[in-house]
Amino acid sequence: MRKGESIVAHFDWTLFVIYIILMIMGLSTVYSTAYNEDHPNFFDFSQKYGKQVIWVGFSLFLGLLVFLIDSDIYRKFSIPIYLFTLVLLVIVLFMPPVNGARAWLGIGTLGIQPAEFAKIGTALLLSRVISSVNIKQQTVKTVLLANSIILIPMALVLLQPDAGTFVVFTSFLFVMYREGITYDPIILKLLNGVPGFKFKETWVGTHFIPLLFVVVFLSLVTLLMSNEMLAFDTFPDLQITGFWVVVLSLSILAILIFLILRFMSSRRDRNRVILIVIIGYILAAGLVSTVNFGFQGLADHQKDRIELFLGLKEDPDGEDYNRNRAMAAVGSGGFLGKGYNKASVSSVESNHVPESETDFIFCPFAEEWGFLGTIILVFLYMFMLLRIIFIAERQRSSFNRIYAYSVAMILFYHFAINIGMNIGFAPVIGIPLPFFSYGGSSMMSFSMMMFILLKLDSQRREDLQ
Amino acid sequence: MNLDGRKYVIIIVTLLVGIIYSIRLFYMQVVDETWTLRAQEIAEKRKEITPPRGVLFDRNKKKIVSNRTYFNLMMKESEMKNFDTVAFAKLIGWTREEVRERFKEIVKGEGTYRNKHTGKRSSNYQKIRAYPFLKEMTLEEIATIAAHLEDFPGFYEEVTSMRSYPYANGANIVGYLSEVYREEIDEDRFYKPGNNMGRAGLERFYEKELRGRKGIKYIVTSALNNAIESYADGKYDTIAKQGPPLNLGIDIILQAYGEKLLANKRGCIVAIEPATGEILALVSAPTYDPNLFIGKRNISKNYPTLLLDPSKPLYPRPLAAEYPPGSTFKLLNSLIGLQEGVITSESGFPCNKSVVGCHNHPSAGNLADAIKHSCNPYFYAVTRRIIQQNKEKSVFVDAEIGLNLWAKYMHSFGLGQNLETDITGLRPGSIPDANYYDKWYGHHRWAFSTIRSISIGQGEVMLTPLQMANVAAIIANRGWYYTPHFVKSIGQDGPLEQFKKKHYSLVDAKHYSVIVEGMRRVVHEPGGTGRRAKLNDIIVCGKTGTVQNPHGEDHSVFVAFAPMYKPKIAIAVFIENAKGGGGLWAAPTAGLMIEKYLTRKIMEKDREKIILEANFSGIK
Repeated sequence: MRKGESIVAHFDWTLFVIYIILMIMGLSTVYSTAYNEDHPNFFDFSQKYGKQVIWVGFSLFLGLLVFLIDSDIYRKFSIPIYLFTLVLLVIVLFMPPVNGARAWLGIGTLGIQPAEFAKIGTALLLSRVISSVNIKQQTVKTVLLANSIILIPMALVLLQPDAGTFVVFTSFLFVMYREGITYDPIILKLLNGVPGFKFKETWVGTHFIPLLFVVVFLSLVTLLMSNEMLAFDTFPDLQITGFWVVVLSLSILAILIFLILRFMSSRRDRNRVILIVIIGYILAAGLVSTVNFGFQGLADHQKDRIELFLGLKEDPDGEDYNRNRAMAAVGSGGFLGKGYNKASVSSVESNHVPESETDFIFCPFAEEWGFLGTIILVFLYMFMLLRIIFIAERQRSSFNRIYAYSVAMILFYHFAINIGMNIGFAPVIGIPLPFFSYGGSSMMSFSMMMFILLKLDSQRREDLQ
Repeated sequence: MNLDGRKYVIIIVTLLVGIIYSIRLFYMQVVDETWTLRAQEIAEKRKEITPPRGVLFDRNKKKIVSNRTYFNLMMKESEMKNFDTVAFAKLIGWTREEVRERFKEIVKGEGTYRNKHTGKRSSNYQKIRAYPFLKEMTLEEIATIAAHLEDFPGFYEEVTSMRSYPYANGANIVGYLSEVYREEIDEDRFYKPGNNMGRAGLERFYEKELRGRKGIKYIVTSALNNAIESYADGKYDTIAKQGPPLNLGIDIILQAYGEKLLANKRGCIVAIEPATGEILALVSAPTYDPNLFIGKRNISKNYPTLLLDPSKPLYPRPLAAEYPPGSTFKLLNSLIGLQEGVITSESGFPCNKSVVGCHNHPSAGNLADAIKHSCNPYFYAVTRRIIQQNKEKSVFVDAEIGLNLWAKYMHSFGLGQNLETDITGLRPGSIPDANYYDKWYGHHRWAFSTIRSISIGQGEVMLTPLQMANVAAIIANRGWYYTPHFVKSIGQDGPLEQFKKKHYSLVDAKHYSVIVEGMRRVVHEPGGTGRRAKLNDIIVCGKTGTVQNPHGEDHSVFVAFAPMYKPKIAIAVFIENAKGGGGLWAAPTAGLMIEKYLTRKIMEKDREKIILEANFSGIK
């Protein structure tokens, strides 16, 4: 920092303002949802909204602390920070379970969830490790190191169990993809071990991460569709199983891609295009079939477990109960909503939507503010994510850039999954909506994440010196 | 490898999710109504408030059908704790097994529904819903239980409204209520399980008016089905509105008196106010106490007994029983004869017993005396002249023309067709025409001699007592009638449109005076057949009838109106198997009814005593 220059000289006010706006919207929604007639005071600390005010205040205080620390600290101390969060993740496994998961450290309402903070530790260490790797000379060691940093906390989180946070950790794959981490060294090692093979690079290894996402995406879609049966009013005899819908969609997609590529590619590439599309199509169809028939072949209790994990089954009594109620709440909001404090399905009092002030807070918001509110909220998150990506891209140090991407991708995951499960697009896995949901751990961890980013960004010029 | 391009992949993925989510939200929240409906299903419960039914008043503003508060003992299984079956059974005076049975009955009785997603069938019964455990208890019954209900969480009392009948009379007029069936609920969305509906009489005919308008209260309910608050501060609520009161033409005092007179007899009395067509009394004997049909418990107990009773107390005789009118029919044949010009008031016919039997009386030299004596040969001759007017050479063709003309006249008196009265269960009676006899004897194979019994109201002629009374009203009015009806006004509105239309008979008014005079002579002159209907200060005009009954004793009939000028009441009395003619039983009964209605006092105590003591029910 240059002498005499303000601490906030290069502060990104845009991002900060969006952060504050989201937090205020969240607070008002928590107040409306958890409103208790006997305790109308917004600052009544016995109520959830009063507590949330404390959490917000505490988060801003933490943010100030974070901001006062020199940004270099985060890079230098990323290993101890990471290890500290890992230790917390281990300790938490010995705590008494709350709602079936050993996720809470501390007593009752004063507890924190280490999993939320583990994301920061992982982001910091991953940024440091990847920034020190020469992308052009990746070895098996560097690839394994980068992956281990993610996999260790993932494994610990899964032991709690906390499926939501487990899934969120895969957001780091996007970061690795952006930074060019390939799985080629591992693939090459395996391949070239076979006599006669001598590859310098493989297409699969280089595009491992996007391939992984395509495979997971296709498998999930197949599983989700496996129990569906489509019937048509006009042709009552015609019934199509979900599997064939997926295969049909794939075929149409293949034909479309083929036509587009054919027109765009030169005559010379044409044969290659045909080959790629055909091979891709066969592989995808094979994958879908394997997943589908593999799933069908499972025993009932195994199926149940998978369906439970995917959120296809909530509990034996109420099939899809939560999601159904949540969607009813969101969908009934209409264009202008039912009005502030007028949510009928998703108020805590009515208890139709469980966890309506935490994981399902989007419900009361959407019910009260309607499409006008939700479109503004989606726009704010989009704006925030793009702003962070923009900030990431203007960093000169790769540590800063990787960290910023980590923050963007973590927030993106939370946004996509949390809202997705309210509109029937994502399985019901309990993760909070950043800056919005009630809860101390998530509010503090997201705030710290945000302020570290703001701090790094405000000191980006000094990295050159 | 160009890593810089990858940032666009990430930006595109992010934007794509944002755009897809926005479209999805627009579809869910603005376009698709499914979720709004689903939300209403989940949280916004419509609570329907059934108003008490409209009450019924008689013509003197006496309340004859009102509402009374009853109580249901409700149970909600989800709130039941440490339920002590023995103590509970003791409290309500049941055995333990009965209590258990009732629980099973409630669970089973709720029917099943099919879950669309799982295809599984399950009972509609839900632990979080309230069901009536005991229905329709009186205040006294619930009072003993209510004090101890706090020992049985999950049980509470709920107020309902049911009918009550301050006068135990007119059961066949007012009808009764009973719970709606599944099909009726499907047909009319007004009804919900447990609602009542008019089953007979006025309750049924005026169901749509009496049931009123349901109130709808929108409430927000929690996942446990508890009401939390009224929805939108009650902006969409509608207030339950009780049905308007029905003001009847019935005189409940007269009705009760009529029922008393016909005790231990089978028969009917119908009294009509001629000037308005309002039915003053409609007695069907034997009858039953309408209080026997209050509520499910009473109906299931009493209905089978009454239904299987051989004397048919549930059968509304005045509306549905079709009787030969007997000699009262001679009045109509006389009127038609006068209108057709085949007789005059001074026509005389000898009492020639060779064509048709008669009792001993001097031959009538004019029509009024013929009515007085009820001379069978006289009216045989009159009707012969109507049917055989010698318009055609062939006696058969001539009879066909004559009978059809005769039937047309009869229809103008409201006979052979349903009187569109405001009650259900009416029968049309029967007026035979040419087609009718063609079916029996063949085309042109019958003439007056074949069908002569119509001249004295026997044979194929059938009238309901309501029609007989209406004939009396037409004569009282000298030629016209309003369709007889029960309801004078619905709340502030007058009677239904169809009761404001005057119907004229095809016989001119001038021909009635001689008939009226004859009817006066029946009652007030020596030798008249209906002298037992005579009253001191009131001129009663009547006509007796004795209906020959091949299955048993003769039926006793009397139609009358009074006073002679400006008549206030027209009446028909029909007593089955009365061991005597119309003059013996029906005439004094009619006289007593007229006296009761016009003076409210009974001077003829001896006559009353004889009628009250008479027993023609076949049961001693």
